[in-house]
Amino acid sequence: MQGNYLAKRIGQALLTFFATVTLTFVLYQMMPGGPEQALRNQILSQQMGSSNTINPEQIEQLVENYTNLESDAPIYVQYYQYMSSVFLEFDLGESLYSEDTVTSLLAERLPWSMLISVYAMVIGYSVSIVLGAVMAFKEKSRFDSVSSVVVIGLNSTPYYVAGILFIFFFSIRNNVFPTGGRYGLGIEPGFNPAFMQSIALHAALPILSMSVLGLGTALTMRGNSVRVLGEDYLRVAELRGLRNSRIATQYVGRNAILPMYTQFMIGIAGVLSSSVIVEEIFSYPGVGLLVYDAIQVRNYPVLMGSLIVFTLVTIVAILIADLTYGFIDPRISSGGNNE
Amino acid sequence: MSNSDTIVEVRDLNVTFEMNRGQSRVVRDADLDVARNETLGIIGESGSGKSMLASSFLNAVVEPGVSTGEVTYHPDDGEPVSVLDLSESELNRFRWEEIAMVFQGAMSSFNPVTTIRTHFRETLQDHNRDIPAGMDRARELLESVYLDPDRILDSYAHELSGGMKQRALIALSLVLEPDVLVLDEPTAALDLLMQRSIVTLLRDLQAEYDLTLVFITHDLPLLTKLADRIAVMYAFNIVEIGTTDDLLYNASHPYTRALLDTTPDLNVPVEEMNIIEGSKPDPVDHIPGCSYHPRCPMADERCRSDDPPMMTVSNSHESACFYYDEADDAVTISAAPETRPASGQSAATDGGEN
Ligand code: SF4
Repeated sequence: MQGNYLAKRIGQALLTFFATVTLTFVLYQMMPGGPEQALRNQILSQQMGSSNTINPEQIEQLVENYTNLESDAPIYVQYYQYMSSVFLEFDLGESLYSEDTVTSLLAERLPWSMLISVYAMVIGYSVSIVLGAVMAFKEKSRFDSVSSVVVIGLNSTPYYVAGILFIFFFSIRNNVFPTGGRYGLGIEPGFNPAFMQSIALHAALPILSMSVLGLGTALTMRGNSVRVLGEDYLRVAELRGLRNSRIATQYVGRNAILPMYTQFMIGIAGVLSSSVIVEEIFSYPGVGLLVYDAIQVRNYPVLMGSLIVFTLVTIVAILIADLTYGFIDPRISSGGNNE
Repeated sequence: MSNSDTIVEVRDLNVTFEMNRGQSRVVRDADLDVARNETLGIIGESGSGKSMLASSFLNAVVEPGVSTGEVTYHPDDGEPVSVLDLSESELNRFRWEEIAMVFQGAMSSFNPVTTIRTHFRETLQDHNRDIPAGMDRARELLESVYLDPDRILDSYAHELSGGMKQRALIALSLVLEPDVLVLDEPTAALDLLMQRSIVTLLRDLQAEYDLTLVFITHDLPLLTKLADRIAVMYAFNIVEIGTTDDLLYNASHPYTRALLDTTPDLNVPVEEMNIIEGSKPDPVDHIPGCSYHPRCPMADERCRSDDPPMMTVSNSHESACFYYDEADDAVTISAAPETRPASGQSAATDGGEN
């Protein structure tokens, strides 16, 4: 039963991923004028200025290198070639404006985006959980109503507005944090304190503004906690004279957070996609900024590559959430065994 | 069962809730003595205050309810404990060590995400008990409630049937060796067979572990099979208390008599208490005089203005009615057993046969 489920779930994930890659292929075909066409024009216009001319075969060759597409082949051949290079060679094509492959560009940028996304999630969700729990414990108090309003307010404020405000107050007005970049100029990268500190300073504001995204969770947490506080097992735990700390963590905490676990994992996708704008605001060179720049100049291979990677991360996160949920909530795993 | 050795003493107990439309008093000036090692049944309609009265034994009335008055616990040895005056940490120690409580929600009394073993273990741990010794006791208790310790301890609540959960909870309630076990409708959600087996089980446990049981229910037939004494609650206070035989054969309060009258067969458990004519008392209202007068066929001027005190019917039997000695003529019980059995000792088990 377990093994079966595992195989089924992984199969589903693979299928989803396969479908996404297919979709990127379809998008390539559907782009206005077609990316190859655009590319061809671009190469031609570049050649105009220079003296040496390029023959059409060379152009074809170049286009194929960039996009993995052989434009004059029949569509199913193109499809096959595209899919095989993505899946078998991990080749996502080549950037139009630099010599780098899309894979290497992404590999270089991804850790930086992960850094801010992971911290943003951890901070956003921990704050929400604690805040939500406290609100529930003090249900209907002044603190509860004030925080509810604040959280709803923050939650409806787009994170980029928060980001701009942060830059304005902390970087421009007060100079506490830098306005952009990943680390200070002239600092030698490596495991030295100055570099680490610089990374932290540069990442602080992007993390802060992205963690605003997770704040809505506080309301979910509040609702869940209120529900758990009314449960019989909570009353029994109190009657049993258990320590308050145990009741707060093992009883209220665990049971209230559980239903949000999947939501957290899906949140990874939300954080990644929001990184596009946040990184642009803070000129933070992560994947998000890469995507943003790619949109500006229609760097299709980079765009498509990022789309594929974003999808991959999301699918993997949801898969992990699904597969681990059973370990966290015994009702799921044994339900599979019993019924 | 004489009152010479009292284990829980309740005096002038009031339980109040502040509500928008005024103060709601769900227990009013209640007095009650629970004798050591007896089984005391408390019966009443839903909303009569019986659960609140029992919760006060552990000062565990749900928020925002407040218990005032005196609840004194007399341990086997040592100083009496004034339960309502305990600090939070003292109360945490007191609960489950001296008085444990199993209530209606047994079906969902366990944390759904931890095993039954964890429940025993954390209870022992938070009361600073020796864990290995405590777990041995847990296994022993589980066996005495006819559960297989190896299987149960590693289970989660959702893997157990209702009856198993209820029995596991009873075992859990005894793990710290309390002297008093309060059971609030512990059989409400169980089928008939399981109800009876729990009752038998409780009787065995009581003998084995020297327990004092306080059993709250709306199921009179069930109570007559278990209780030594029965207290009848109506409108937020006790209206009659006596031995099970006293109540069955010589009920001296019109309400008790009406209750018996609507319970024709004491061998058939009741799902819901039969509603006696007239409307239920409202906990916000102040009822002048006897609280039962709006529904009492014997009510007169005096009943409407004065509140009847507890009147002594016999040395084991009290009734809060001015006319307790006339009640048997005024309120007839259609299926009443004519006389009490000569020996008087078996009534608790077969009192309903007539
Ligand atoms: S005191 Fe009066 S009203 Fe109350 S139960 Fe007795 S007879 Fe009825």
